[in-house]
Amino acid sequence: MTDFLNYLILGLTRGSMYALIALGYTLVYGVLQLINFAHSEVFMSGAFGSYLVVSGVVGSHHNLPWYATVGVLLIGLGSGAAVGAFVAWALERVAYRPLRERGAPKLAFLISAIGASFFLSQLAGKLFNRLSQNQFPTYFNANGAALHIGGASVSWIQLIVIVSALVLMIGLDRLVNGTKLGSSIRGVAEDAPTAALMGIDIDKTISRTFIIGGALGGAAGFLFGTAFVFSNTMGFIPGVKAFAAAVLGGIGNIRGAMIGGLLLGVVENLVPTAPWNGGQAWIGIQWTDVVAFVVLILVLVLRPTGILGEKLGRAA
Amino acid sequence: MRTRNLVSVAVLGLAATTALGACSNSNDSGGLSGGSSSGGGGGATYTVAFEGPLSGDNAQLGINEVNAAQLAVDQANQKGDLGFTLKLLKADDVGDPSKAPAAAAQILQDNTVMGVIGPSFSGTTKAVGKTFGDAGLAIVNPSASNGTLQTLGFKTWHRVNPNDFAEGPAAADWLAKKAKKVFVVDDLSDYGSGVAAAVIKELKAKGVTVQHQGVDAKTTDYGAISQTVKNSGADAVFYAGYDAQGALFTKALTAVGYKGIRMAGNGVKSSVFTEGAGAAGNGFYFSCGCQDATVAPSAKDFTAAYQKMFNTPPSTYSPEAYDATNILINAIKAAKAAGSVTRATVNEQVNKTDYEGITGHIKFGTDGDLAKGSGTVNLYEQKDGKIVSLGDITKAS
Amino acid sequence: MSAATTDTPTPSQGPTPYAIKPPSGVVHNPHVRRFVACLALGFVLALMIGEQEGTQQDFGLAFREAVALPRILIFLGIGILVFLAITFWPRIEHFLIRPGIRPLFVGLLSVAVSQTLLKWSDSSVVGNGKFGTLAGKAADTPQLAPFARAYFTTGVAWAALIVVVVVAAYAIFTGQRAVAWVGAGLAVVVGLWAFFSQGRVVSLLQTPDHSTGALVALLGYLAIAAACAACALRRTETADTKGFIDRVFAWRPGMPLAAVGIVVGLVSLGVATWFSPQNEDLTLVDTASFFSGHGLAPLSQAYLSWLGYLLFVVAAVLAVLGCLRRDTRIAWATAVVGIVGAVLTLMTLYSTSSLGAKSGFDGASGAWQNLGGGGWFAAAAFTILAGAGYIVLSVAHDVKVGKLSDLGSDIVGQARQVPGMGKALVLLVVAAALFYPPTATEFWQKVIVSEIGIYVLLAIGLNVVVGWAGLLDLGFIAFYAIGSYTTAYLVGALPITPPEWLRLPPLAAIPFAIVICLIAGVALGFPTLRLRGDYLAIVTLGFGEIIRLVAINNPANFTNGPRGAFGIPQPSIHLGPLHIDWGSSSLQYWYLLLVLIGVTVLLFNRLEQSRLGRAWAAIREDEVAAQASGVNTVRVKLLAFAIGASTSGVAGVFFASQIGYINPDNFILNNSILVVAYVVFGGMGSLPGAMAGAAVLTWLPEFLKDQVPAEDRQMWIGAVILLMMIFRPQGLIPAKRRAAELHGLDDQPREETRAVPAGEGMGGGR
Repeated sequence: MTDFLNYLILGLTRGSMYALIALGYTLVYGVLQLINFAHSEVFMSGAFGSYLVVSGVVGSHHNLPWYATVGVLLIGLGSGAAVGAFVAWALERVAYRPLRERGAPKLAFLISAIGASFFLSQLAGKLFNRLSQNQFPTYFNANGAALHIGGASVSWIQLIVIVSALVLMIGLDRLVNGTKLGSSIRGVAEDAPTAALMGIDIDKTISRTFIIGGALGGAAGFLFGTAFVFSNTMGFIPGVKAFAAAVLGGIGNIRGAMIGGLLLGVVENLVPTAPWNGGQAWIGIQWTDVVAFVVLILVLVLRPTGILGEKLGRAA
Repeated sequence: MRTRNLVSVAVLGLAATTALGACSNSNDSGGLSGGSSSGGGGGATYTVAFEGPLSGDNAQLGINEVNAAQLAVDQANQKGDLGFTLKLLKADDVGDPSKAPAAAAQILQDNTVMGVIGPSFSGTTKAVGKTFGDAGLAIVNPSASNGTLQTLGFKTWHRVNPNDFAEGPAAADWLAKKAKKVFVVDDLSDYGSGVAAAVIKELKAKGVTVQHQGVDAKTTDYGAISQTVKNSGADAVFYAGYDAQGALFTKALTAVGYKGIRMAGNGVKSSVFTEGAGAAGNGFYFSCGCQDATVAPSAKDFTAAYQKMFNTPPSTYSPEAYDATNILINAIKAAKAAGSVTRATVNEQVNKTDYEGITGHIKFGTDGDLAKGSGTVNLYEQKDGKIVSLGDITKAS
Repeated sequence: MSAATTDTPTPSQGPTPYAIKPPSGVVHNPHVRRFVACLALGFVLALMIGEQEGTQQDFGLAFREAVALPRILIFLGIGILVFLAITFWPRIEHFLIRPGIRPLFVGLLSVAVSQTLLKWSDSSVVGNGKFGTLAGKAADTPQLAPFARAYFTTGVAWAALIVVVVVAAYAIFTGQRAVAWVGAGLAVVVGLWAFFSQGRVVSLLQTPDHSTGALVALLGYLAIAAACAACALRRTETADTKGFIDRVFAWRPGMPLAAVGIVVGLVSLGVATWFSPQNEDLTLVDTASFFSGHGLAPLSQAYLSWLGYLLFVVAAVLAVLGCLRRDTRIAWATAVVGIVGAVLTLMTLYSTSSLGAKSGFDGASGAWQNLGGGGWFAAAAFTILAGAGYIVLSVAHDVKVGKLSDLGSDIVGQARQVPGMGKALVLLVVAAALFYPPTATEFWQKVIVSEIGIYVLLAIGLNVVVGWAGLLDLGFIAFYAIGSYTTAYLVGALPITPPEWLRLPPLAAIPFAIVICLIAGVALGFPTLRLRGDYLAIVTLGFGEIIRLVAINNPANFTNGPRGAFGIPQPSIHLGPLHIDWGSSSLQYWYLLLVLIGVTVLLFNRLEQSRLGRAWAAIREDEVAAQASGVNTVRVKLLAFAIGASTSGVAGVFFASQIGYINPDNFILNNSILVVAYVVFGGMGSLPGAMAGAAVLTWLPEFLKDQVPAEDRQMWIGAVILLMMIFRPQGLIPAKRRAAELHGLDDQPREETRAVPAGEGMGGGR
């Protein structure tokens, strides 16, 4: 049981990050019916942006008092979100809007996003560095145990990741379902021409959707960098997984992305390790990604539009 | 609308072109001296080539090596006793076997190239070893450690780093003295799986219980594997992979509270590991068929010069690449002293190498691998953020 | 819908009738927005260009170097120039429609590119071989002929370019015909000056030279000369370049090809190197005297000394006559003489190089070594001339005959089918594919085989799935992997070896690879048939990753894991009297690959026009409608997967046996994504487009090796892909059907696409 809980917590941590990134894919998909392949670089730029701010704020201090730590974490989340939002906005202006104005075929959007993704990731490498591991300053004991649940311990960083992700996701849910901006996003997602006739500014709504998704992705970048390490190529693998998570939950569906992300994270950690099997590994951890993709394919074969189905407008 | 855009692209292109032109017009004069490949002439130019990943995911390893090669070439030129001018040609193969042949062709078509440092990986070496062999051009591997390379019949192949089968079993013998149950984790790379196979084979021969799993080198989340290692109740864990991932792994192991022995091979022993792991890396053991390039006296100068030139300390495989370059330079010198510098004569001289390098004493066997007994495998441990040597691993307690 | 239009920087478009509140203020001023965007462009260029590189210790170092003060001003200046150009475009636009502007612009760009980016020498003495480096050294070399030194003196080449361009531009803008003739003459003289100056350098350096810089500069100057000629000979005040080219083809379809053939032939027979023993460059005349009296086969000796010239003259005269008179008998004669000439050229090359190898020049061990470009150019020229004959034959029954006097007129023809133009282009490409690679450096030969060629084949395969059937496949490389591993298994390079009776040489693995990939394609296709667009994308992506991970994880020790399969033998054919063994020469592989590509293209070309091809188009456009009209969508989709997969499998067989070693790293997800990018970049659904896209985007990183720091190449490629999609979303060579989709059949912009963000094109219709 303890083992099971340990792996579950690991899975939820990883899943929360997937979910945060997946939301960016799903929001954009909702309004544009496009996979924003460059979203992984929004995530990456959130990590670099927040690093610059956080390392400036923290300086060479170690082990800050708790209130300062909370402050730095909020600053980190905020700066990551801000940088992510800016990059996502710029992305929409440069890589998407001109194509939309030309009525380009759908695949052209995918390819322009891939081009933008190569560009951003390598530009970040050129400007910062191309090392595979950069670390945030250690301003608190991230791996210290925060609380114990039935013999399993949750470290501070796991707690922070899960709680921030939850808060952000609830906030997004409220934003989409409870505000005027949210209703215009849903309107565009449901039926763009009609929404336009109703006086909704489509370009502006799309722009803001990118900004919201980018902010979540950027914040995820900060969390990821704090939990692990960050680099200019860090976005690719989590990006692919989060894309899979979004599809798993039903792409274009916000709650679907949350569920898909968490589910994928948990499956990745539980299935290969099989903690219910008395410590006897069932298949090795090297099969993690195979498990993830097989689950994805099985779900899609059974439910071709994901667990909750698509449509940002209806299901949310 | 459309024409306007076309023209604005064109204008942009022109502007970029002009800017590039402005940047790249470096006029180093000196005239065209004809007949560069005349051989043995006073002002002749010879080139050593580096083939390795200079871009892509594995670029860091290639940069560690090419920097060291550059340093060796610059030092040789500065000494002024060469009697020829030495140049370094950098060929980027992205660490990808399918791109290696083009990089090899780029090297081979320059007829001033007398030797190659690289390729950096076993995979790229397998892809081009025969090509270089057929052309008679000496290659000196600084980091390809696959234990079967010496058996593949590459005619001009050499390597200065010990192979998996030299290092792995020594580490396994040491572990077998300490642990009854060992968990081996590899990074699913050519290098990692080779080392893991060698270690597992030896451990099993010593009657140790072994569990083995792999984690992709691009993973950053080592939580699940660390938890698995802890749950398995293994007395020791051996990581077969590279430094950056080793640091992440040891941090995750510390986070889950794993208390057993942690150990890795040469690929992990570097400043990247110590910096990345921080305090979590203390107590981590390494087996390495090398002298510690940051500590050993013969290597101090190298470390200082490298730091001065590149503003970063030498890292994984920099010392090996430095030695490989110097071996080639010495071979060209020897070939010149013996009368003629051609690819064939340089290769002969490389075969005869007997060189005291910063990673140890280097002599090649007839198969091109390090001659047996020319290197001892040492045990290292990270203490207080620094890697210190504990001496010969066969004698270490 | 309303504010959407005003956001775009198009001053000519006012608010639509539905506008609710027209945005105002500084932020919404289109000029201000455009200015900011242009400054941002300059800023990004400053970050991209240059050697600065991030460091571990100092995160901001590269950024500070990039925006250091005098430097950033240059780039912001570029941004402002772009701003000015766009803003004042309507004012200058009407100057730029005069005859000659386009060729002038092309010429200027070619010469500028040649003198900044391209190599002018391959000798290692010249460092990076670019014009700036070469000029710096050449100007100080007393042995060099004075005229060549003059050209390389600092600033002279650029000043000459500026003078030529200014004269040409003056002539074009003022319309003075006399000045135009002066400009044309000047351009030709300067172009030849550049060409022969570089020639002198090459003969001084005595190393084999494959650089293209001088040739491109010459062509650029010739384009400027053409611009001047167009100005001098104009009959109207507005240019219609495309119309002019159309009219040339309508007038005498084979003539452009004949002209190209004659130019190439003249270069070949006149100045090109035919044989270069011991670093000497021998032209045709020199080669003839070099070999005379050394026991060369009489036919070859005759070719070298007189037969070659005679054949060329005959072929050229026949081609011109045949084109002029549109006479099928002369055209037949042209084709025959051209083919005979090409064959004789190849025979001569074989016997000369064999004889040279016997004499042991430069360690040559067999035929086809130490050859210069001349012979290959001659073969290309003969082929092209034969092609001119073929064009005449193929359009002989076309009743439409243009008049010579139409050439300069401004009659813009209706969208008519221009006879022979496509065929002429194809013939040129084929001639280049056949005869260019032998003249390239060893490095480029390798690139042509192991990068360009293989990915062209993959793109052809993926084009079936993505371009024709409209199924987005992000795991295409999986089939390439399956093909490679099948080969490795069948030749016994894997830990588990096949039973003795199944052991095969690599080429015999092709049918097995095709069958296995067909099965794999169906296996992937079957469960995913219900999925649409993006769901399919992620499933195929997952499939590709699963295949790679299985290869890594090595179940049952079948794939040998990350260590891969070593020792896959090189291909060989032993059929009756025919014995071919592929060794280490890239060229041999290239011709094998060319055969594979050629066969595939011929088959697929048929396929596109077939019932199946139309069914694919139908399900791509509207699956429901296709089903309703009787298309068996399941079967058709599966066929698309299977056919694409088997092409990929063939590429895999070729790859495995060419390189001899495979491991799972060759089959990463990034490669799958890149192949999709190649297909879309080239033009989805268009066979030539997919091939061109793959060729350009695999060539580019190797070209960029000499231009930017190696690590930055992917950044530049990303930028190129992005720009291409922004400015030409339909791709390099769009399929006719898709071009119509994008622009409407009569080139009317589709306004309603502004408001409807998606659903166009593939997988759309939701």
